[in-house]
Amino acid sequence: MHRSLHGRGPLFDTDPPGLAARLVGARPYQLRSSPYEHQDDLPFVVFAGGRGLGKSALLAEIRTAYQGHTPVALIDGEEAQFAGPPANRPRAAWSPVAHALTTVAEQLAEPVKGAGRISFPRLASGLLAVAAGGWSDRNVARIRQEAERILLLNDSRSFLDGLAGRWVSKVIAKLVASLSNAGPVVEPIIEATLEAFSEGVSPTHRRLRRAATWFRDYPNAGGNPKLGLILLSGHFRAGGDSRTHAERFLVRALLADLDDAYAGVMQRSHRLGRPVVLIDNVQAPAGRGLMEAVLRDRADGLGDQVVFFSALRGYALPALRHAVRRTLAEVARTTGWEPGSSPSSRALLVSLPPLTPDDTLHIVGALCRGLDVPPQLPHATHRLTGGSPLGITLLGESARQNLPGGAESLGALLTGDVALHADHDGRPAYRELLDRLVPDGRLDELTVLAAAHDRDSALALAEDRLPDDFGAAGVLGLQERLTEEGWPTADGQFVGDPFLRALLLLRLHHLDADHAQWKAVHRAVIDHYGGRDTTDAARYRLHHELALGNADLAVEHLRDTFPGTEVGAWLRSLVFIASAPYYHAHDPEGHDDSDGHDHRAAVALGRTDPAQRPPEGVDAALHLRVRRLLHAVWQLTDPLVLPDPEVAERLRFELEQLSNLRPGGTALLWRASRDWPSDALAGRPLRIPGDDGDGDGSQG
Amino acid sequence: MARLWRWLREDVWEIRFRRYMALLLAAVVVAAAVWTGLVMTRVDHSCAPGVSHPEGSDDCVGVSATAYDFGRSRFTATVRAIDRENHRLKPGSYVTVALFLPFTASAPATLNDIQHQLQGAYLAQYQANHDTNDQSPAIRLVLANPGADGAHWQTVVDRLDAMAKGPDTLRAVTGIGQSTDSNKKALRALTRLGIPVIGTSITADDLANGQGGKDPYPGLARVSPTNTDEARALASFAQVSGGQALLVYDKPGDPYTRTLQDSFEKLLSGSRIAPQSFTPPADRTLDGTTGNQFRQIASVVCDTPKTVNTILFAGRHTQLRQLVNALGDRGCTDRRLTVLTGDEGSYLTGDTKLEPRALTRNLSVRYTALAHPDAWRKETAATGGGAADAKTLDDLITRSKGEPVGPIGQVALQDGQLIISYDAMRLAVQGLREATPNGRAVPPLAEVVNEWSFVKGSHRVNGASGWICLDGHGNPYDKAVPVVELTPSGGSRFVRIAWPEGKPPAKECLPPA
Repeated sequence: MHRSLHGRGPLFDTDPPGLAARLVGARPYQLRSSPYEHQDDLPFVVFAGGRGLGKSALLAEIRTAYQGHTPVALIDGEEAQFAGPPANRPRAAWSPVAHALTTVAEQLAEPVKGAGRISFPRLASGLLAVAAGGWSDRNVARIRQEAERILLLNDSRSFLDGLAGRWVSKVIAKLVASLSNAGPVVEPIIEATLEAFSEGVSPTHRRLRRAATWFRDYPNAGGNPKLGLILLSGHFRAGGDSRTHAERFLVRALLADLDDAYAGVMQRSHRLGRPVVLIDNVQAPAGRGLMEAVLRDRADGLGDQVVFFSALRGYALPALRHAVRRTLAEVARTTGWEPGSSPSSRALLVSLPPLTPDDTLHIVGALCRGLDVPPQLPHATHRLTGGSPLGITLLGESARQNLPGGAESLGALLTGDVALHADHDGRPAYRELLDRLVPDGRLDELTVLAAAHDRDSALALAEDRLPDDFGAAGVLGLQERLTEEGWPTADGQFVGDPFLRALLLLRLHHLDADHAQWKAVHRAVIDHYGGRDTTDAARYRLHHELALGNADLAVEHLRDTFPGTEVGAWLRSLVFIASAPYYHAHDPEGHDDSDGHDHRAAVALGRTDPAQRPPEGVDAALHLRVRRLLHAVWQLTDPLVLPDPEVAERLRFELEQLSNLRPGGTALLWRASRDWPSDALAGRPLRIPGDDGDGDGSQG
Repeated sequence: MARLWRWLREDVWEIRFRRYMALLLAAVVVAAAVWTGLVMTRVDHSCAPGVSHPEGSDDCVGVSATAYDFGRSRFTATVRAIDRENHRLKPGSYVTVALFLPFTASAPATLNDIQHQLQGAYLAQYQANHDTNDQSPAIRLVLANPGADGAHWQTVVDRLDAMAKGPDTLRAVTGIGQSTDSNKKALRALTRLGIPVIGTSITADDLANGQGGKDPYPGLARVSPTNTDEARALASFAQVSGGQALLVYDKPGDPYTRTLQDSFEKLLSGSRIAPQSFTPPADRTLDGTTGNQFRQIASVVCDTPKTVNTILFAGRHTQLRQLVNALGDRGCTDRRLTVLTGDEGSYLTGDTKLEPRALTRNLSVRYTALAHPDAWRKETAATGGGAADAKTLDDLITRSKGEPVGPIGQVALQDGQLIISYDAMRLAVQGLREATPNGRAVPPLAEVVNEWSFVKGSHRVNGASGWICLDGHGNPYDKAVPVVELTPSGGSRFVRIAWPEGKPPAKECLPPA
């Protein structure tokens, strides 16, 4: 069917049914039922992943897939409306969870095919009692406004009820009238509410009456709904754990109202599947409070039949300590989820994988339909972004807008302007990406620290290049934040994620026209490692020298260490040093210089050899060979340019030649001469033969 | 199509409430379709209310109580008039009389007879309901068709029986007509069921009671004289002696011809002139080779003594026509000859094979008729019938040219069918009304059956064809028999009334015991 998300088949599949179809009981995009996987206990699904992994897009797609077929609500915990109460509304009568409940109920109420609106009388009376805690007889206009929004949750808009708006205004008039005498307002409001709910004879009013008695089960209410609501209001106002308790009851009221809409043969026969609630950024207070309340109630045996999909930035949250963890691929056919005893075991944490090279190919192909896309661009895009859906989509969009203008490398696509909306001016793609990946301040600091390799070098950099008030605490805080947000860590890099690091370094390079900052930061790192005489320090130093354009030091080091070092270690050093960013000159506006062509290929292919004068007393042939090899690896592993097949071929030749010079390491060099060219062309990282795993340090 | 299917599959089928509603709706639609189909197929079998096609036939058989004309447009006007009259009647105030005739016959001559009988029956119904001082019960007239050949008589008899037992209060059947096997069976079945029957144009002796002392059809009354009576009347009319007449008879003959033959032989007893016989084909409506026999008979006639001026013919109409044509070519056209025969002679009025010039050669053909419009115009006997009675009918016919009586279509009285049918209906009306006990609206069937024996004396029916006084077997006693003569133009001319008893009945009109 119409699928706009790539690589998310395990969730959206219909035949065999994917996770969404099995939980909701209806196929996405179609009004067709699907067998349930879980009958009584439902898992609270949490999609986990770092920024840019497409969680928000996933939830939005679920909403699109079920909109109009079953009630769907989507809230984002980080939205501004959940951050704090509106002006002139006291904090005592407002909480993110209560506001989230109002928003969710408003969305769920929308009619779907085959069934009318859902009304939420229990939630409405609870919310009214809570809101009344912030009312006084001074601000009638605000009371009207708040009460109307809450009371409209009751509105089923059935023709049987006549004009629902009339009922609402009648009740509001009653509420306002009950305010007229000074003194406590909560009690009269609750009284007037319950009274209003108990009038009328239509089926809707019968439901209202039944709903009005629901709060008599509130603890200590003694079977009196009015007392229950007063206690609820009081607990809410008290704040802290009492408020959490009250909020739990409000959540329960929402779920009870939903259950009511699905109760009975007649009501069920109008509906297909289960209602769906989508919570983005569940780690934010509004989402977390909602999730914790649902998880606790479910653990306590108060079941409901609402399907929750939520998105968590990062991979851990205290409330999800015992959550069942799966990858998306694992839940494609069955979740294997069994609830445990703890509330958190009611959650199913599904980590979203990055997209595959094939997905990248499809996305770029779809975005650049009709354009002449360089054949290696999709794989190179995947190598740069590491499969980040956000990165791939934005780069694809940039390719669509900039390829016709002559942009060739990924670097050009990142620095090229991209307009995401037709009526917006374009901005450089890397800035758009950084705005989304690092939205909450500290971007400048992180830009500097991206050059660091570990905490020590980061602290040194901070001391040297950042304001004094940032200091060590700032460094540690940033490091923790990166972990919390789900960014991977990597040995030898302060910013573990290669894509984010590449973007930050690009930003660093473009901070000022003459790259003064860029140079200063690298110089600072070199200085930091200058005092140490370890192999790693040398590698780091040479890496940054290379970034500043000084290739000779690296060539010297590699040439001198070649005969005496173990071949695997030597190759590892080669790859790491060559992973230095290569930013050549650019014009004052930050765009690549038009004639600033990449000189690495020319060096690697030996075209500059005649002009070279190897130092006295060294093996000139080896010197030149190492120099060509370094530039070849540098070019081929640079994520911002497309690998040059000619250079790859030359790389194979050079490694073969080297293998003859090291009888002990022939096999390794020979292996590398076979693997590296093809890996480089395919966008795969270069692996050191004999190492198991991918060799993290060789990526960037 | 795909979108409709998708809509049905997703928007209707998947939402159970809609699915059940759709199934319910589909069931209702299917049921309605089946019902409509059944009704449609039933309509296919039906011609009109009460009238339908029997299995394997496209004839329309049954009893019609509506303005259905059996597909014969010549009936339409009369049938509409009947329907109008029937609709005027209040339920419970009437008895039903069925006119039993083969309405779907196709022969034009037969259809003419039927049309005239229909008109006669209706006029009598109208008269009974309007002109007789609101006597009760009123008369409702329905049409019973046993099919063109009468084959479906059983169906119709069953229906009539049901009507006799049901709210239709059928109390008499009139009509019947020719003496066919089916009619005999129908008559037998009806009378066995106790339904009174009044024969209109039946003359055959075997469709009568009292022949050989037996009453095979209890409840049958007739308004036409039997063949025997006709022959007797003819004999009294002829007044010929042995030397004046030659008998020509059918051999072996059928009941009709033998009846005539017997009467003629009695008249000619002791004659020296030998009777001449002829042998027709088995189906006497076919010409066959009898033409040759009649040419020989014609020459025999010329050889007879000059005193012979009358030929008494005991045969059917086809043979009569052949004889007349042969006599037209006889050698002795200077001798005046008269052919006398029974009511078969009336068929020659419309026979195109008759050579008209035969009648211009000193030859006349005279025969008895059931009734004749001129019978009471010229010659009025004191008893046995009267001009006033005939005039009543004439007036009614005049009024029937427009509303409220008519229209009833083209009226023709020459063949006597209208008159005789009118008289039969009047007899039925009288019987029904006389049999109705005081205080009751409707007579019991058995009372009507018994009523026939009282129709005599002052309770006689003064018919337009003459007095109708029934004997103990339901046969008319000394009924006036008009003798008519065939004219060269193909019509008929009234000659004189003849009487079976030789003279008109006495004023009391009481049949001898």
